[in-house]
Amino acid sequence: MAGDPRVQDILDRALADIAGARSTSALEQVRVRVLGRSGELTALLRGLGKVPAADRPRLGEEVNRAKERLEAELAARLVALKAEEHRLALQAQRPDLSLPGRAIPPGAVHPIARVQDEIIEIFGRLGFSVAEGPEVETDYYNFAALNFPDDHPARDMQDTFHLSADTLLRTHTSPVQIRTMKARRPPVRYIFPGKTYRRDADTTHSPMFHQVEGLAVDTNISMGDLKGTLEHFAREMFGSRVSIRFRPSFFPFTEPSAEADVSCFGCGGSGCRLCKQSGWLEILGSGMVHPNVLRNVGYDPEEVTGWAFGMGVERVAMLKYRIDDIRLFFENDLRFLGQFAP
Amino acid sequence: MKISYRWLLEFVETDQTPAQIADRLVNAGIEVASLSPLVEGLSGVVVGEIEAIERDLGVTAAGHHIRLCRVAVPGKTFSVICGAPNAAPGLRTAFAPPGATLPGGRAVKAAKIRGTVSEGLLCSEKELGIGDDEDGILALAADAPLGAALIQYLGLDDTILEIEITPNRPDALSIVGIAREVAALTGAPFRFPQITVREGETEAASLAAVEILDPDLCPRYAARVIGGLTVKPSPPWLAQRLRAVGLRPINNLVDVTNYVLWEMGQPLHAFDYDTIAEHRIVVRRARPGERLRTLDGQDRALSSEMLMICDPERAVAVGGVMGGGATEVTQATTTVLLESAYFNPGSVRRTSRALGLHTDAAYRFERGADIEGLREALDRAAQLMADLGGGTVAKGAIDVYPSPRPRPRVTLRRARIERLIGACPPQEEIVRILQTLGFAVDDSGEELQAVVPSFRRDIVQEDDLVEEVIRVWGYDKIPSTLPRGSQLRPVSHPPELQISRAVTRALTDAGLSQAITYAFVDPGRLKAMGWDAPEGLITLQNPISIERSVLRPALAPGLLEVVALNASHQIPDVRAFEIGHTFAPHREEDGDRPAHEELWLGVIMTGQRAPRVWHASRERVDVYDIKGAAELALHAAGAKPVEVAPYEAGQGPRYLEQGRAAALLSGAREVGWFGEVALAVREAFDLPVPVFLAELSLTALLALPRETIRYQPLPRFPAVQRDLALVVPAEVTAGEVEAAIRGMRLPLLRQLTLFDVYEGDQIGAGRRSLAWSLTYQAPDRTLTDREVNDVHAKIVVEIGRRFRAEVRGA
Repeated sequence: MAGDPRVQDILDRALADIAGARSTSALEQVRVRVLGRSGELTALLRGLGKVPAADRPRLGEEVNRAKERLEAELAARLVALKAEEHRLALQAQRPDLSLPGRAIPPGAVHPIARVQDEIIEIFGRLGFSVAEGPEVETDYYNFAALNFPDDHPARDMQDTFHLSADTLLRTHTSPVQIRTMKARRPPVRYIFPGKTYRRDADTTHSPMFHQVEGLAVDTNISMGDLKGTLEHFAREMFGSRVSIRFRPSFFPFTEPSAEADVSCFGCGGSGCRLCKQSGWLEILGSGMVHPNVLRNVGYDPEEVTGWAFGMGVERVAMLKYRIDDIRLFFENDLRFLGQFAP
Repeated sequence: MKISYRWLLEFVETDQTPAQIADRLVNAGIEVASLSPLVEGLSGVVVGEIEAIERDLGVTAAGHHIRLCRVAVPGKTFSVICGAPNAAPGLRTAFAPPGATLPGGRAVKAAKIRGTVSEGLLCSEKELGIGDDEDGILALAADAPLGAALIQYLGLDDTILEIEITPNRPDALSIVGIAREVAALTGAPFRFPQITVREGETEAASLAAVEILDPDLCPRYAARVIGGLTVKPSPPWLAQRLRAVGLRPINNLVDVTNYVLWEMGQPLHAFDYDTIAEHRIVVRRARPGERLRTLDGQDRALSSEMLMICDPERAVAVGGVMGGGATEVTQATTTVLLESAYFNPGSVRRTSRALGLHTDAAYRFERGADIEGLREALDRAAQLMADLGGGTVAKGAIDVYPSPRPRPRVTLRRARIERLIGACPPQEEIVRILQTLGFAVDDSGEELQAVVPSFRRDIVQEDDLVEEVIRVWGYDKIPSTLPRGSQLRPVSHPPELQISRAVTRALTDAGLSQAITYAFVDPGRLKAMGWDAPEGLITLQNPISIERSVLRPALAPGLLEVVALNASHQIPDVRAFEIGHTFAPHREEDGDRPAHEELWLGVIMTGQRAPRVWHASRERVDVYDIKGAAELALHAAGAKPVEVAPYEAGQGPRYLEQGRAAALLSGAREVGWFGEVALAVREAFDLPVPVFLAELSLTALLALPRETIRYQPLPRFPAVQRDLALVVPAEVTAGEVEAAIRGMRLPLLRQLTLFDVYEGDQIGAGRRSLAWSLTYQAPDRTLTDREVNDVHAKIVVEIGRRFRAEVRGA
């Protein structure tokens, strides 16, 4: 069935122009020419009234079909042209993906703070709260309350910076243990992070360093629990394969006292440079809280027992990150710190 | 302390090797720092005799007169060149034939000197590695067996254990003490030295007297008199023993006191009897103004708290610390008054520290000597002196011990061990351990009773015994368990820790690095920073150095050091912060804390804002960077917005530049500041480019009400933006204008953002253009143009009037 030649003509030309359009704007021109408000096909539809009534439905249908066909073709061609134009645009502006990204450089958390936080987290999961205290202390809190007698050589174990006859820079965070126990009743489970000071300076000793001490006092708590707790800590900090060894030692504030060694995670215990061929790394001092210390804070050693431990954060960090000179921590060379960016 | 393995074996019968013994000691709490052969690398050296001097070879370039000696060993002779002045026919000495080795791996070979072959070497102490003497060759006894290996003959086939004794164990500061430990640890029998004194006829009491005037400082003083002595060098075995443990032989009498000190742990002192006035010892505190020239030749001023050993006329020794020069044993001494006493540990410690005299005797007395064992040591030394000096020990000892100290009895319950340790050894084991350590044990009753031996001053209560039992039983037998809590308590963190962590996180995320600097700083630099007066500063009495002698009053000095260090390491760009305590003298509010400590944040910036990269131009950080960092920290700290108040002349920290620093205020309270570091301060730290600093008291922020987050409903009606660009006189600040606009309290003005600041030719000198974007919005309706125009016009008029501002481009 032959259609209306005018419709056919518009359709043929329009289809050819759509196919020939090289840009979305050219395509838009075709659309306006044919389907726009005063477009060819629109005009034909408007002139329908002048067509004989009998031809009207057929012609109207033809025009509408042509319009639908053209709209579909336009839409399809538009998708293709857009894709092509996008492709060309991308081609014209190709980024050099090898260029460095616009950096958002992270700052560094100081390695001591990192390790200290990690220790706090590990003991936090075991139910240990945190307490802090002053760095300038009295002789009472730093020594006397901790069972260091006056004029006793035990005081030489911690070479002290004095500020006056009675005040000093704390040599350990143990004064916070005393302050904490005096302020509360058992059970007590605390760790005490903070700066400490001893008059000592070489590649492994710094006149200022950091400690984390721990304290647990309860009605029924033993040295076995101390060993188990420290073993748990060591595994969280240094890996699941390490173990703990206790060696007898002496601290005025604990009885019995123990040095706790961790099996060397560098060599697994067979001996290497890290552990100086011994297979063990000395990291902690510990022991059962001395009954005199419990009495000094008003606890009854027949009612409660407790244990305490202390470690140097620098020592742990040096082992963990294989740092061989403690002074690096306090020089704050940004090339050093930058290695500890998050 | 050095322990000779051979010496040790005299008191404990064990076949354990030195390494095995060291291992047991370490696991029982006695640190063994090292284990080494007495002499290393010595082999092939034998006892030889110089038969004759064959030839004089003249004087060497170095000035030694060398001679060719004929040296005999059984069945053979050697021609050996020797430059020692004491080389003489008949001398038996150490001979290293070719093939022998000397310490340090030196191999001895036949060598030609001045055309003459020397078949080996005659050795000095020093060459043998057994002493310091290098002036002559080693002189051996005339009966030294020719050809014998020198190592065996001198007892040099020994191992030295370098042990470290904790301050609670003075009893272990001797060969006998370590032997007792080894016996307890290995089960080997302990043999206390057999001591017998062969006394003469004369009663000691008729020759000398002792009087203690201050028994609180000297509870016991014993003495013996040994007469008819000849002072001479000690026999080789004794000299060698002393050298092995690091002591220098002096003469037979002095060496005996050192020998017995090392062996039994009791310090002794030998007086030349004839120098003691009336042969009478008086033990008393020093008198005001009294002085004494001690053995080391120093004339010392004494204080009335020091205990002196005196004769009726004068002080002759500092009790337990050091003897006096006037009464010491000399070559002429024939009679010795030998002292063996017990001195109050605290008193000895105070005296030795006050005089700066740290002697072996003081070391032991301040830890606590054995008040009962001092008689055995006295007897042992007296007999040895008589033996080695050819003299006689007078009959009886003088022993003043006014109130003998009782031996404490301590109870030990198995239940206590179980409770403290989580395990308990069998009863027989407990008893065995305590007995071998010298305790008398009564376990007939329900609870075990232990009588503490006089040498264990550290054992006073039950838990002390628990440790003794467990350390010998083995710490490896302690189980590994986790605590069973009686009651669960919530874990809490102090607010200081929380705020520090929040601020650290925010600043490191923003690219700043965390520093930790020393809490002690340089007073010189503090002075340069404006702390002129020492009041308000806390100074260490015994600093490591003057540069680290004052507790920091602020974080600024440490942070400036960080910048300086990095600059010296070619790192000019620094963005860093520190959180830490600052220190000031005690204030009322500090209670029983002896100093005023506050937790502060310090931030420092210098150099370029960003590293040199392809996508950004390089710009130096400026005061707005440090202000931004301070604002970020305040926000992270949960602080409500604070007010910025530029410092007037004379206000604020003196290390900040005048007119380039401002206070951060919360209400009337200053919580911190920021600004540019003053030029003079930069110069003191050798910093060539501008440095910016902010400091915030986290302690102060914690005391303020915290910012709480409260949800604001989101606007439902559209906002209208209008820009306001004003040209104002240069002295008008943006903050003033903003405050004035906000002060108009216009309900429709929702937001005010400064987006442009311009100074330059377009507007002329002395003026500044400031441009804000204003956002108008109503919560309940869409605003009409007209409403917005009205409000905006009101602002233009009001601000224009107040600040003599012109609307730019209008």
